[in-house]
Order: sequence, then structure tokens, then C-alpha cells
Amino acid sequence: MAVKLYALSTCPYCRMTRKYLEDNEVVFDLAEVDLLEGQERADTIAEVKALSGGTSFPVVVIDGEVVVGFNKKKIKELLVL
Amino acid sequence: MSGKTDRLVRQRFAPGTTTEDLKAYMAPFVATLGYKFNTEDEFVDEVLASELEIMEKTGDVFCPCRIRTGDPKEDAKIVCPCIPFYLEQFAAMRKCWCGLFIRTDVEDGAELIGVIEEPEDGVPVDVPVCRVEDLADGQVRHIKIGKRDIALVRVGEEYFALSNLCRHAYGPLSDGVLDGCYLMCPWHGWRYDVRDGSTDHPDADVRTYEVVMRDGLVMVVVTLH
Repeated sequence: MAVKLYALSTCPYCRMTRKYLEDNEVVFDLAEVDLLEGQERADTIAEVKALSGGTSFPVVVIDGEVVVGFNKKKIKELLVL
Repeated sequence: MSGKTDRLVRQRFAPGTTTEDLKAYMAPFVATLGYKFNTEDEFVDEVLASELEIMEKTGDVFCPCRIRTGDPKEDAKIVCPCIPFYLEQFAAMRKCWCGLFIRTDVEDGAELIGVIEEPEDGVPVDVPVCRVEDLADGQVRHIKIGKRDIALVRVGEEYFALSNLCRHAYGPLSDGVLDGCYLMCPWHGWRYDVRDGSTDHPDADVRTYEVVMRDGLVMVVVTLH
């Protein structure tokens, strides 16, 4: 299962989401978008916009399914926890 | 402006600004929009502490849950409190995006932390736009809910909401003069009845919106789309 978390280092929900994934021993890729610089930052913001239609965080992608915000119920369903 | 540290950045707040300073300045403002700080104090302090960190780096209190794009016009919409830019979505969610602010009638803010269900299209939402005392009798104010331009009118103890655009030449009705229940367009004097949006000119009535008054707040009912 491929899981990617787009997060901001400043965002409380991103911290909650990260902790939830870690507590459930989910292996995931992490992009802390606000800590990126230059082209990588611009590219990642464009990626988040394409995935979620906005620039709000966190964005979790679980096998192609996109969850915006810390929606524990949806994340749990998609991860089959 | 990128998010990188830049000492030349213009600081919008005095050095040494604290979370208590932010609370004192934001609370009266969001109250005019029908919001209050979340009832979860610890969560509020965490979010405001994040905003102060962002302020140190960028000069302003941007929402900690969203990213600055570098476009000043776009980024102005994510400076906290950002409620005026997302009136209908937040009214439907009963909180702002990060949950720092909740609608004044929400008793327990804890249940609004975390879950962000975007409201569905087609659902009517009562959007608080001001407090009952914010407009005097006979006063008109332009309000924007999403893409809708609305003239909010107070006549006596009643409030009315109608499209702000005159059907003649698209003059801004909210700049017009109110004569009893009739709002005169400032450009050519077309008259609209604020109660039903009607005018004597053929096929030129404007749409009206239902207005609800509750808990001292004026709310305009819109359908999400």
C-alpha cells in the first residue's frame, strides 16, 4: 500500500495525522511542503493543488485516494485498520 | 514572497507580540462575523503559537494549515482570521478551516477538531454577515458571500438582502440611497423594492435572499454551489 502525507511543519492537524499514521505503524512518504525551497517547493505545491484542488493541509494519498484534512474515519477505512 | 527566512520582510505586528495579544485583537473582530475562539484552550494556544512562528518568518499571521503561494492577492486570503473569504464554507462546517474559530452557537468545539467534511452542493446554509446592531436603520452595506455580491439593507428592525448589481448598467446598489423600502441605484436612479427585489422596469427584478436573525446575528441564507 502506497501512502503519502503532504504536511506543513506548522499545522496541528498535520501533526495529528502524522502521529496517527505512526501509531498505527503505517509506512508513508512525508513531504513537509513549507520546509521545501525553490523549484521543489513550487512543484510540490502544484502537486497538492492537482490532488486536492486547494492548498489546505494535511493531504493524505492512500493508493491514489485523496483525503484532505485529518479525517481519521476516512483514513482508517482506506488503510483498513 | 516565498516561505524562506528573509529578514527584510515587512513585519505587520509589533516585536514581542504574544498569543494573548492575538486573542485580544481577533476575538472582537470574529464576533462581528458570528464566531468565537474554540472552546479547547490548549488547541487554541497551539494554533496561535504556530501563527507566531510563521509571523516571525513571514511578517504576518498566516493560517498554519495552508501554504503561501507567493501571490499576494491569494495569500491575503489565508491571513488569520480568514473567515470573510470563506463565509459559506465555514458557516456550513461551523468552524474555520483549522478549527481555531467556531460559530458562536457551538457549545463544544472539541468535536469540530480534526474532522473536516467539506459541505455538499445544494445545501442551504445560514451565513452570519454581521451583528444586528452593526447597521443603523436605513443603512446599506455591500457584502460578498463566495462570488455573490449582495446589498444588505436595514429598514427599521428588519434586514433584507438582494443582489448588489442593478440590472440596468450594473451599478452597485449598496452605494445607493434608501427611500423607505426602496433602494435607488447610485448611477441612474433605478428603484428596487428591497423586500422582493422588484422594479418598475420590465424584466429587471433582482434576486433576493432570505435573511434570518438569531442570537443577535444577521444571517443570509445561500445555497452552496
